[in-house]
Amino acid sequence: MPTQVQQTADLLNSEIPLEMYLVVGAIMFAIGAWGALIRRNAVVVFMCVELMINAVNLSLVAFSDYLPRANGEATSYAILVIAIAAAELAVGLAIVLAVFRSRRTVNVDEINTMRG
Amino acid sequence: MIIAFGFLAGMVLVSAFGVVVSRNVVHSALFMSGSFLGVAGFFVMLNAPALAAFQVLIYVGAVTVVILFGIMFTQKPQVRRFATIINRQFWAGLVVAVGIGAFVAVIVSVEDWGATKSGAGSTSVKALGRNLLGVGDAPPVFALLFEVASVLLLVAVVASIVISRRKVGAGEDSQVANEVER
Repeated sequence: MPTQVQQTADLLNSEIPLEMYLVVGAIMFAIGAWGALIRRNAVVVFMCVELMINAVNLSLVAFSDYLPRANGEATSYAILVIAIAAAELAVGLAIVLAVFRSRRTVNVDEINTMRG
Repeated sequence: MIIAFGFLAGMVLVSAFGVVVSRNVVHSALFMSGSFLGVAGFFVMLNAPALAAFQVLIYVGAVTVVILFGIMFTQKPQVRRFATIINRQFWAGLVVAVGIGAFVAVIVSVEDWGATKSGAGSTSVKALGRNLLGVGDAPPVFALLFEVASVLLLVAVVASIVISRRKVGAGEDSQVANEVER
């Protein structure tokens, strides 16, 4: 059936709506938040924070591409977000290394010296 | 478009899930780089190829290597049981995360974004560079943001060196060294 083939081809070539990117970003953010809440290893917590930052970056770039008056500026903001995330990761891993050196563990449940 | 989107979405979400549930920390790091690669593919689909290149260089390259170094310095051999890698908040955390995800997904779905169309922004690398430096038509605040980001990166590098430096006579390393000497 040529018409059905044509319809299928049109469906496959049709444009992705903005909402689908945002939903993928939201689910990725939720997975990252879940991991940051439940994992014990501090390094894995950092990975999950990076996942959340990436999810937000994805939403930002999707807005930049779809909203008519964004003018592509969000791409520049995304680069700044990447720079800040890299700075956060460098300082965070340095702190994890310092904690590991003094306590021999990176388990966030056992690092409770400042607990009231 | 739909096929590429589905493939990338599956790659991103499955890899993100793998980061959370895998027992081996090195596997978590590799899953994380897979997820970042998927996001880079999304950036290509969203007409931001320069940003996709930055994503691959910085996240898939540098951040994954830094995390692997962190794992190499801090980890003991892998744990065998799933229960030992998660804390007691497994179900509470799942409820909170599903709540956040469902809430945000519903909000962005029902919101009326107006007439949106892909490819609305400028896609050239030249425009991106001018925009990032705040020259030409770009908002001048980007010049300030660029300078602030560069100072922030410098401060972060210096701070990470200062924090993670091995201090003489402090920490357990010196005790271990003393015991070895004895």
